[in-house]
Amino acid sequence: MFIKEYISEIAKATKSLWTGMKLTGHYFVRPKTVITQQYPDNRDTLKMADRFRGEVTMPHDENNQHACTGCTACELACPNATIKVITKFELTPENKKKKALDTFVYHLDMCTLCGLCVDACPSGAIQMGQNFEHSVYDRSTLTKKLNKPGSKIREGVE
Amino acid sequence: MDTSAIIFYAIAAFTLVMGLMAVTSSKIFRSAIWLLLSMVGIAALYFWMQVEFIAAVQIIVYVGGIVVLIIFSIFLTQQAGTKMPGPSLKRIIASALAALFGLTFSFNLINHYGFSSAASQPFSLSVSDIGVQMLSTTEHGYILPFEVVSLLLLSAMVGCIVIALKPPKENVERTVAAPENITVNITEPEEENVNVNIREPLIITEV
Amino acid sequence: MYSLHAITNSVQNWLNARLSSTWVLIIESLIVIVLAIALFAALGLILVWLERKVAAHMQIRLGPNRLGPAGIFQTSADTLKLILKEGLTPDGADKFLFNFAPFVVMIVAMLLLAPIAFANGFQIWNINIGVLYISAISSLSVIGILIAGWASNNKYSLLGAMRSGAQIVSYELSAGLSILTIVVLTGSLQMTDIVQAQQNGWWIFKGHIPVIIAFIIFIIAATAETNRAPFDLAEAESELTAGFHTEYSGMKFALFFLAEYINIFIVCAIGATLFLGGWMPFHMGNWTQFNHVMDFIPSSIWFFGKTFFLIFLIMWFRWTFPRLRVDQLLNLEWKYLLPVSLFNLLLVTLIAIMNWHF
Repeated sequence: MFIKEYISEIAKATKSLWTGMKLTGHYFVRPKTVITQQYPDNRDTLKMADRFRGEVTMPHDENNQHACTGCTACELACPNATIKVITKFELTPENKKKKALDTFVYHLDMCTLCGLCVDACPSGAIQMGQNFEHSVYDRSTLTKKLNKPGSKIREGVE
Repeated sequence: MDTSAIIFYAIAAFTLVMGLMAVTSSKIFRSAIWLLLSMVGIAALYFWMQVEFIAAVQIIVYVGGIVVLIIFSIFLTQQAGTKMPGPSLKRIIASALAALFGLTFSFNLINHYGFSSAASQPFSLSVSDIGVQMLSTTEHGYILPFEVVSLLLLSAMVGCIVIALKPPKENVERTVAAPENITVNITEPEEENVNVNIREPLIITEV
Repeated sequence: MYSLHAITNSVQNWLNARLSSTWVLIIESLIVIVLAIALFAALGLILVWLERKVAAHMQIRLGPNRLGPAGIFQTSADTLKLILKEGLTPDGADKFLFNFAPFVVMIVAMLLLAPIAFANGFQIWNINIGVLYISAISSLSVIGILIAGWASNNKYSLLGAMRSGAQIVSYELSAGLSILTIVVLTGSLQMTDIVQAQQNGWWIFKGHIPVIIAFIIFIIAATAETNRAPFDLAEAESELTAGFHTEYSGMKFALFFLAEYINIFIVCAIGATLFLGGWMPFHMGNWTQFNHVMDFIPSSIWFFGKTFFLIFLIMWFRWTFPRLRVDQLLNLEWKYLLPVSLFNLLLVTLIAIMNWHF
């Protein structure tokens, strides 16, 4: 019947509108649900999400050793030439020449933080870091050398 | 001249100037706005006379209704923003004569009979009095015109609904059925050699 | 009950003893103008801040919180910024009408303030057609929008103005009909009479379900008439940039913005007066003790409390519901609100004739 349909339509519409209003009302009366980070104030306690991509880093262990073999897979994977891997040849104990990392140059100013280099790395030598405060007064400081001075490749990483 | 008279002349001058500008403006949208302000001036006169009900009705009907309708039709008109050419000499002379005739006619009337000051007492019509008068069947009641007007409005409303109604059901079914036929025709493969079948993309990958 | 009549009367008497009647009128008008402008400025600042806060908390954000406690001075700073900005007039615009439109919108908003009873005995103009006056003047507000849309010489502005016009003209009907239900029950158009009629209970409680339906329809129509979401087609950001005020900048834009919020306040004040008793405290029939306690709360607090409750309700709508399409908008009005409110008016008339209300 027409009238019955008409009224039930209105009732359904009212119910669905009320469902929406209940949700926003729920959030309104509970200030604790607010997810805003008051950034400069909470700088000390701020914890970024695990998957946040701030910059490319190369973790070193306590013996100042990294896992980079200098294979340049990351350099090839990078879509906008952010990474430049400079390699050298080292002599192994068996007196054989072996490719090794000399300098890992990282241009943060060109990086789009896409993370393709991290995916490409076969030895897990680079990671995306959590730091996001990158503003500096001199552009040249954005070109970084990621391997620490005097660092070596970790034993057993091929 | 007391304050009340000064206000009256100010409102009257405003109304007249706006009316004159509405007629003489060469941009049609501006004309509509001047007409609107002239209507507001008339409403202000009613307020000045303390017949608030009439003033409110004047604003609702003329300003909020008719002028808004005029503005809407201007919006929907092509090239309504361009300046209109000035009227021809013939038209100017004709309208000037018409205005002169109207002026002499009304001046003559006023000169002969003047304004009677019979209504020296201020109106004290409340809204409920107006309502009662509208629906009374006594000698000065307005029940007949009121009902006739309401019938007119009712028929207008019914007419609107009839125009806005959906077309009868047969047509609706036909329009729904038509696209189905078209889709069937399209999906039927015309040549046997064509391997690509849009409906079953899985087969392509297997081949 | 405490009344502000004493204060207003003493001002009148003090002036009358010293000046001629014309000067008394002029000075009283000046006082009213100053008060109205002060109210406008305060309301603009508070309502914009309130809207941003409500929006933020409904979206699990914090909103403005830097300038002053809870960001209360944020809107003042924004206003300062708008005052300092240049008010541009586009080259192809109709210059006079373009600069005229913001003032039309503002003047209409100011005129609407006249018959509203802010407290017991505190009203600018106790006009005997109060409610009719409001629906007459509020039909003028569309004209400012139409002028702005046309004079900007911009397709977005024109489309926004057209939509706004169609919307306001059609929703005025159901707003008017829902106002009429209260007029039928009260038997008067005057604001003071309507408030006095709710001495023993507000109409929304006294009038059974039909008045509640009228109240809901009024709120929907009021939201549509003030061009707010979910009925903000006239200034739909995603389609029309900013609708009719796309070309406006600086203080001219601020006037539109302010008028929008003032209009919200006014429709909510009217809704509070008609359905929730205006400044009348919460009274329950014959419980004299209870009523007496309620009378201790000043009437202006009752009025502003109810008005701000309705404003909050409208803000709640805005930050919950998605925008309607034009055809949906007109469907809602002509197929649902108008027939329902017509039938509702019939029911209320029956109730009023048979004296079924409390």
